[in-house]
Amino acid sequence: MALPEYFQFQDRTKVIYGQGTLSSVGEEAKLAGGAKALIVTDKIISKLGYAETVANSLRDAGIEVVMTYDDVPQDSSATMIQTLYEDVKKLGGADICVAIGGGSVLDTTKMVNLLLSEGGDLLDDHQGAYLQEKPLNPMVAIPTTAGTGSEVTFAAVIKDTEQHQKISFISPFFAPNTAILDPDVTLSMPPGITAGTGMDALTHAIEALHSATSEPVSDALALGAIRMINEFLPVAVKDGKNVEARGQMLIASTIAGIAFTNSMVGVVHAIAHSIGGIAGVPHGLANSLMLPWCMEFNLEYCTDKYAQSAYAMGVIPTGDPAADAETGIAKVRELISKTGLPTRLRDVGVTEEQFEDIAMTTMGDGSLFTNPRTVEDHIEIIELLKKAF
Amino acid sequence: MPIFNDTEHFYSVLVPFFNMLKDDPGIGPKIFSSGLVVQFIYSDPQAIITIDCPNKVIIQGEIDLKPTVSMSMSAKTAHKFWLGKLSIVIALTKREVIAKGPLPALMKLLPLIKDSYGMYAEYLKKIGMEDKITNWD
Repeated sequence: MALPEYFQFQDRTKVIYGQGTLSSVGEEAKLAGGAKALIVTDKIISKLGYAETVANSLRDAGIEVVMTYDDVPQDSSATMIQTLYEDVKKLGGADICVAIGGGSVLDTTKMVNLLLSEGGDLLDDHQGAYLQEKPLNPMVAIPTTAGTGSEVTFAAVIKDTEQHQKISFISPFFAPNTAILDPDVTLSMPPGITAGTGMDALTHAIEALHSATSEPVSDALALGAIRMINEFLPVAVKDGKNVEARGQMLIASTIAGIAFTNSMVGVVHAIAHSIGGIAGVPHGLANSLMLPWCMEFNLEYCTDKYAQSAYAMGVIPTGDPAADAETGIAKVRELISKTGLPTRLRDVGVTEEQFEDIAMTTMGDGSLFTNPRTVEDHIEIIELLKKAF
Repeated sequence: MPIFNDTEHFYSVLVPFFNMLKDDPGIGPKIFSSGLVVQFIYSDPQAIITIDCPNKVIIQGEIDLKPTVSMSMSAKTAHKFWLGKLSIVIALTKREVIAKGPLPALMKLLPLIKDSYGMYAEYLKKIGMEDKITNWD
């Protein structure tokens, strides 16, 4: 594979893995320099008692818990984040944020941490790309799903409730200081969510690999993640209590996160963001529905990369990379089938009447810029949606 | 030799070019239909050019109007940008270009601007700056 003329790679997050590492959050928060913590989570995680474990660990380390916010929805809005920030500010603020939950919880926390660090209005003052000039307050992230990669990424995605679209915020300074990967906190994840989030991780890895700004470091990470996800996602879906499979998936998701936050993603994510915003389909599932069709769309433009992906999924090289790449796409479909996820847009409530809106919104998604094949107009997106319907 | 001697020189090159884009039947209407107020903030030399799509005008210098999207960059980066020699993604990650405002709006605009890359090189030839098409380092 040819070397890119230029690339940069960075990882700003300390990653800790191990069963029971959740209870080390207090010490890690202290090491990161926090004294007053905001804990952000959702109702399910709170009910399972993990938020309480985090709070106790923080207090044991001498850190004041200013607030535990446990009402993060599937897609946070800018209004919700701004309100949470104002509420914490009234309590004297917080100098460290601890997030325990899925992608929405982690992304919400990144944005609240941005406001607690720099103040202002989220949309008026902070919308853009790579705007931040200095590190924010420290943040510790504890993912309870294995897919988002948000525990190590530079991005946060929230929902614009007025425009029905997802808004991305990007800066290396959004990456948490510490990510704690404790497989125990993922054991209760139901099969459907395990499958959807796992396919999100696979999509991150494949899109990192085919990205127009991919580079050797992220390629190596992406291929490693694809190998792990192909082997362990079906196991984690079938046997949720399998700690080995849960651990492998958590690590694979983090690796894929490091890969794609450096090399970016492509058309699959661009469409998935729009499907999520307009039809309310969960992000991982939307990625899964579009991934094989978009790979076919890109195939001629990144044949070697898809062949590499196929080999990582166990395809034996035939000497014909183009044929191997096609076999690789079939392997992706096979994996989706093993997870039991729906394979048609119509099965998840997307209607043909929404195609125009989804396609037009997709054309404004930044992920399109790094897709290996230029999307010429929204008609090409509609064609992809028809195929996936 | 710098590409642009000073702010006055920069404006004398870029403002007529922006107006050329505005008057181009293939590009102007597409850009104006975005309805955005896009501001380009330049450094070395300092300059500001705003495309006010609702009012279909190009404005030189400071304005009271709040832009929907702003893009800050050096004049040299702008020159590379209009020549189509700049990867916008890499430029953003290197903070050579700082984009502020709703990214979806910006992302819809950039493909429209892409059509004008060839026009900038032709324009430079016309105004006697042919040497700056390749010699900008």
